[in-house]
Amino acid sequence: MVKIPIRVLVVDDEKDFVEMLSLRLNESGQKVVQAFNGKECLDILEKDGVDVVVLDLKMPGMDGIEVLKEIKQRFPLVEVVMLTGHGTAETAVEGMKLGAYDYLLKPADFEELLGKLEAARNRKESQEERIRRAEAKLMVRRSGGLS
Amino acid sequence: MTEREHSDRPVRLLLVDDEAHFRDAIARRLEKRGFTVSKAPDGGTALEILEKDPIDVVVTDVKMPGMDGIELLGRIKDLHPEIEVLLLTGHAALDDGVAGIKAGAFDYLTKPIELEQLAGKIRHAHDKILREEEKRREAEFRRQVEEQMIVTERLASLGTLSTGMAHEINNPLAIIKESAGWLSMILDKPEMADMPRRSDFRKGLEKITDGVERARRITHQLLGGVQKRSETIVDVDLKDLAAESTELVAREAANKGVEIVHQIEPDARRIRTDPYALRQALINLVNNAVQATQSGTVAIAARRAGGAIEIQVRDTGPGIPAEYRKKIFEPFFTTKDPGKGTGLGLYVTRNILEKLGGGIEVESSVGKGTTFTISLPVAEPTGADGRNKRNPR
Ligand SMILES: Nc1ncnc2c1ncn2[C@@H]1O[C@H](COP(=O)(O)OP(=O)(O)OP(=O)(O)O)[C@@H](O)[C@H]1O
Ligand SMILES: [Mg+2]
Ligand SMILES: [Mg+2]
Repeated sequence: MVKIPIRVLVVDDEKDFVEMLSLRLNESGQKVVQAFNGKECLDILEKDGVDVVVLDLKMPGMDGIEVLKEIKQRFPLVEVVMLTGHGTAETAVEGMKLGAYDYLLKPADFEELLGKLEAARNRKESQEERIRRAEAKLMVRRSGGLS
Repeated sequence: MTEREHSDRPVRLLLVDDEAHFRDAIARRLEKRGFTVSKAPDGGTALEILEKDPIDVVVTDVKMPGMDGIELLGRIKDLHPEIEVLLLTGHAALDDGVAGIKAGAFDYLTKPIELEQLAGKIRHAHDKILREEEKRREAEFRRQVEEQMIVTERLASLGTLSTGMAHEINNPLAIIKESAGWLSMILDKPEMADMPRRSDFRKGLEKITDGVERARRITHQLLGGVQKRSETIVDVDLKDLAAESTELVAREAANKGVEIVHQIEPDARRIRTDPYALRQALINLVNNAVQATQSGTVAIAARRAGGAIEIQVRDTGPGIPAEYRKKIFEPFFTTKDPGKGTGLGLYVTRNILEKLGGGIEVESSVGKGTTFTISLPVAEPTGADGRNKRNPR
């Protein structure tokens, strides 16, 4: 079975990290876009289709938690996996409460990360599927009412 | 409280006088008043008695053949500074009394003595001893508290420093890890199959990966792992938790011939706490115990102690030398080989227990074994909320 690539957006102020993780994800067959701060991340989400954002928490300018809030507000279907070197129990709990899919501490195990990305993408797809079905039902009801 | 205890105990007297008749008469009368009295006919015998029996106050005649009372007083002050001495001087020998006080006597009485007066002076001398004892105890207590505070502060600043470092190191570690991982992936591609010295590259990459893994264990352990649940305080069965905590080392223990025993008393089975954190703490202690012990027993025991539960991890291993005992809770203190121990186990354990509102202590005797004692409140009345408040980060 051919795996469908996950569309991943890697957001981190550590340029070398973004580059290396992207290369590795690419090599494993995913489709990767990069951003180096919160603003770039939101701009990209505005125009590109993304399944999962891999989000650093500690970035200059817009902090990861703020970015997460913004993403969940403007692009509620996009999943977020937090990946940070500055992990504390508090930020992890806060991130999860704000709707992040999961939380990993750097340096993370690649297979584990990949597993989470895939699971996050699957959650997004089933969510979209449910919305499509609900909309279809709505359409049927409307057209039914007209006839 | 302790003062009361002490003053209820009879005052222990040593009466020194060369006149047997006088000595016996006074002793009898003092005993009637509730004093415990030993007797000596001369200074030498008195010193021998002081060597072996506990005495509070010495009452001595000054004028004695051989060692006189003043000399005896000097020897007592040298050898047993905590004992008070009362001198009995002759009728016309005021100088003796003055000299005695200068040499450290508590007071003097002139013969013929009045018993009521003597008993009063003895009691005063004893009161002074009690006051001094109390002062010494207080000073010792203060010293211990101060020492403890220095240790605690040191640990706190070491903790802050190492947590900060762990954070900073995680980022470059992640870059190294992803780079090595990426190169390994490339090396596995079919088109690379014929690459010259491919195995050398593979070997180098493996070493990098292993090194990163080792560093990662350290930083992640320092940060206490990441827990995503906020509500973790639940009813825990210590019997189950103890069993889970020893599971991982059961094989190693069996191979060495170390027996693991569980002694969870029925009234100490239930506790309200964070099972993940407590299990981690127990695992760390049990691992240490099993690793240290060559043959013998590792016991994990729990009992009720008032509003607390005491959990002990005991082993019959080599023990911890006194000079290490102060350091074992510091981050990175280890006696194990590089790569074998991080020296973070006990540091993390202590942090965990403090977060749970408890504490940990160690007792150890070299050649016999070590006991770590955890104490935890049975119930956390403030629940998860109070726990978070205690640890703002
Ligand atoms: N039960 C024990 N018996 C004897 N020594 C002990 C015992 N427990 C701890 N120690 C001593 O305390 C040191 C520090 O222990 P700690 O658990 O913090 O680190 P470690 O065991 O060396 O490393 P790690 O926990 O990463 O394996 C140990 O290296 C050992 O010298
Ligand atoms: Mg960052
Ligand atoms: Mg250890």
